[in-house]
Amino acid sequence: MAETILVLVEQREGKLNRVSFETLAGAQALAKQAGWTVEAAVVGNNIASVAAEIAKTAVAKVYAIEDKALEQYTPDGFVAALKAFIEGRKPKLVLLPHTYQVRDFAPKLAASLGAVLVSDAVGYKYEGGKLLFTRQMFQGKFAADVSLAGEGPWFASFQTGAFRGDQVEGGEAAVEQVSAATGEIRTKPEAPFQEAKQAVDLSQATIIVSVGRGIKEQKNIEIAKALADALGGEIAASRPICDAGWLPMERQVGSSGQTVSPKLYLALGISGAIQHIVGMKGSRNIIAINKDSEAPIFEIADVAVVGNLFEIVPALTEEVKKVRV
Amino acid sequence: MIFRTPLEGIEHPEMEADVVIVGGGPAGMACALRLSQLIDAHNAEHPDAPLSKENIYVLEKGREIGQHCLSGALLDPRSMNELLPDWKKEAPIEAEVESDSVYFLTKKSAFKAPITPPPMQDHGNYVISINRFTKWLGSKIEETGITIFSGFAGSELLFEDGRVAGVRTDDKGVDKTNQPKGNFEPGYDLKSKITILAEGSRGSLTKQLAGTLNLFKDRNPMTYGVGVKELWEVPAGRIKPGEVIYTMGYPLTTKEYGGAWIYGGKENTVSLGFVTGLDYPDPRTDPQHVLQSFKQHPFVAKLLDGGKMVRYGAKTMPYGGWWSMPPLGGNGWMIVGDSAGFLNSQRLKGIHLAIKSGMLAAETAFEAWMSGDSSAKQLGTFQKKVEDSWIREELYPVRNFHQGFEHGFLSGMLNTGLLMATGGYGIRDRYPAHAGHERMLPVWDLMGHPGGRSQLLGWSKGDGKLTFDKLTDLYHSGTRHEEDQPAHLIIKDTDICSNRCAKEYGNPCQFFCPANVYEMEDCPGEAGKKRIHLNPSNCVHCKTCDIMDPYQIITWVPPEGGGGPSYDGM
Repeated sequence: MAETILVLVEQREGKLNRVSFETLAGAQALAKQAGWTVEAAVVGNNIASVAAEIAKTAVAKVYAIEDKALEQYTPDGFVAALKAFIEGRKPKLVLLPHTYQVRDFAPKLAASLGAVLVSDAVGYKYEGGKLLFTRQMFQGKFAADVSLAGEGPWFASFQTGAFRGDQVEGGEAAVEQVSAATGEIRTKPEAPFQEAKQAVDLSQATIIVSVGRGIKEQKNIEIAKALADALGGEIAASRPICDAGWLPMERQVGSSGQTVSPKLYLALGISGAIQHIVGMKGSRNIIAINKDSEAPIFEIADVAVVGNLFEIVPALTEEVKKVRV
Repeated sequence: MIFRTPLEGIEHPEMEADVVIVGGGPAGMACALRLSQLIDAHNAEHPDAPLSKENIYVLEKGREIGQHCLSGALLDPRSMNELLPDWKKEAPIEAEVESDSVYFLTKKSAFKAPITPPPMQDHGNYVISINRFTKWLGSKIEETGITIFSGFAGSELLFEDGRVAGVRTDDKGVDKTNQPKGNFEPGYDLKSKITILAEGSRGSLTKQLAGTLNLFKDRNPMTYGVGVKELWEVPAGRIKPGEVIYTMGYPLTTKEYGGAWIYGGKENTVSLGFVTGLDYPDPRTDPQHVLQSFKQHPFVAKLLDGGKMVRYGAKTMPYGGWWSMPPLGGNGWMIVGDSAGFLNSQRLKGIHLAIKSGMLAAETAFEAWMSGDSSAKQLGTFQKKVEDSWIREELYPVRNFHQGFEHGFLSGMLNTGLLMATGGYGIRDRYPAHAGHERMLPVWDLMGHPGGRSQLLGWSKGDGKLTFDKLTDLYHSGTRHEEDQPAHLIIKDTDICSNRCAKEYGNPCQFFCPANVYEMEDCPGEAGKKRIHLNPSNCVHCKTCDIMDPYQIITWVPPEGGGGPSYDGM
């Protein structure tokens, strides 16, 4: 009897993760070579539409493993459901896409079955009845062929891009509903959130007010922020300020930060070390305020203000507000 | 501040190796090349039982071979002639040495020595860029089929039953708080029969080995200098390709050891730099400032006027000599190149010795491989090979050279004369030595110290044309590191920095580091108190801090592989 390859398809909030098609393509190629059968499974709740989409590919069958408790992904839930299912169906090989979610539960799943897992494979080799998976080592300098120990089920996950999703063969398969055994689920997932991406894109700002060591203390940055707000610009900083955590790293201008070229760049208490200059020298107009008359920033400034920024900046902010009204 | 400490509970993938060479500089490259030659010769004679090069690995922390290599440099062709007889036809050479001269500088004048002292005579030698030369050696290795893992540092030596069992490479993708990031990859444990340390000056694995096996037990402590170098493009006609100039004296006083080099390269490039001995008394001495003051001397300013500084860098060099070299081979390990101190302190040349030491280590490794024995007895034959070779012929006579200078310049010169007349014996073989950092004086002892050294002390201001402040110079070293990683300068106790060093030495790290890694900043809320602030991503991997910190609490370990300076043309 032909062995079965089970492809675990990934869905999130009822939407199919398209990288699963790559895994299917890989499974189909291997199945052709080895003379094995391909089946697919997807885990969740109310996932009929996902299952239906997979059913349009050349697989023998699609299983929709469903339970209310699997509505949200949890490692306990998914592993319990899949362990029971795999123990029942006994596929020879389980293939998964190497996604973040798979990284989370696949080791637990394989371990629960006492099975081997080869992760992040970039391909496979099937020669003379022997199956090998190819993995990269030393950041891609080496490739290693890994063979699988034990009787199975064997687990392997494919790296994104290892196969082409558009090379999946089409077909028509039946969908079978399977109710899942979930057991105790210890995690209670909260609502998904996206970590605040770059809240600011300095390269798009037309006016930037930038502070350096001359600002002396973290609380004094408020003075600069007030000016930035009055001008309708963004606040930025040189490296020491961001290193100290007074402003987030994404506000750093310089050779190890952002390169900017706004219409107006105000450098407050910035000496003008070359590492900072290279990040802002393309600015259209540069105004520098620094109490050291020999600060290198004055070499590239269009307007050089030698003075105490703690006196000048608040006064400047007031004048700007008057004009802007 | 979180320092680089090994992550707990990480499983490291293992790989078997026959030979692992840590370091892709001239010594490591020569070792790999010689090993390949021996294997080819063997395979030609035994086509039925060939040896494989597949399990020979070279680890190089730079992103590519040669990237972290810095030197003057002058190459004595003796070992290259043995390694690759046709090397001159393909190797990148700046110029053949055409003339050499030695000058003694005072503040305003330059006195040329009537004849160049014989050890400094360079006819027959070549001006090279060690970066380009080593890169070329790397390309020769690639042709052989030996694998080079560039971007991978040797992070830790593996020990098993008292022998060196191999090397662990660096963990990748560890964040500032020592937690794995999304792209975390644990380092590989390369389980090797033979591990050859070719890490260069003050190697970190060499330091680990020396500490574990007490290698310096009967040896003089190694003494070092730091070479701070700038590469310049000057107007045509200022200097000839192959012109070699050494200077002594200004800006140093009789209390400091050191001197400068100026080499003419091709297409109007000038390699110039200043070696400051890391045994100076005044803790405010700043080797980068020394170089800037040197350039202001009329003799040098004239040469550089109208020119452009193209690249900057720094590296330490070990010139303790024969008595400060550790045992060279043991159970599963050998040490070659600058890591072992293969440097002629009188001629200040070591590249040819590094290459020869690499070759002899390769021969030892080959014999060990064939006999299946990589014990101390077998690898100890490396020591014997070195002693039977021209390495000893060259290094033994100058074994007391540097120690002669321990009491200042004048006595050093007298000693040198005496040593040369007595074949290196001097007054009594062997001259003792002291670790350089021990000669640093606490601030209160400087009171009685002669002045006249403001040109060495504190940060250089720089005029932006001829001289530069440290940050500007540093920018031209092309140094880049992954920012989000733990600090790779490990300080055993940062309270010492704030409470003791600040008072006793004034925190000399702010001055001796050529890359502005160390800064003392105000403690928020505690008036008058300062604390140490590190900028590890500025580091140029010179190891000055590991060597010179007066409390010996700083340990340099490799940052994540691939990071560091970019010494193109250096």
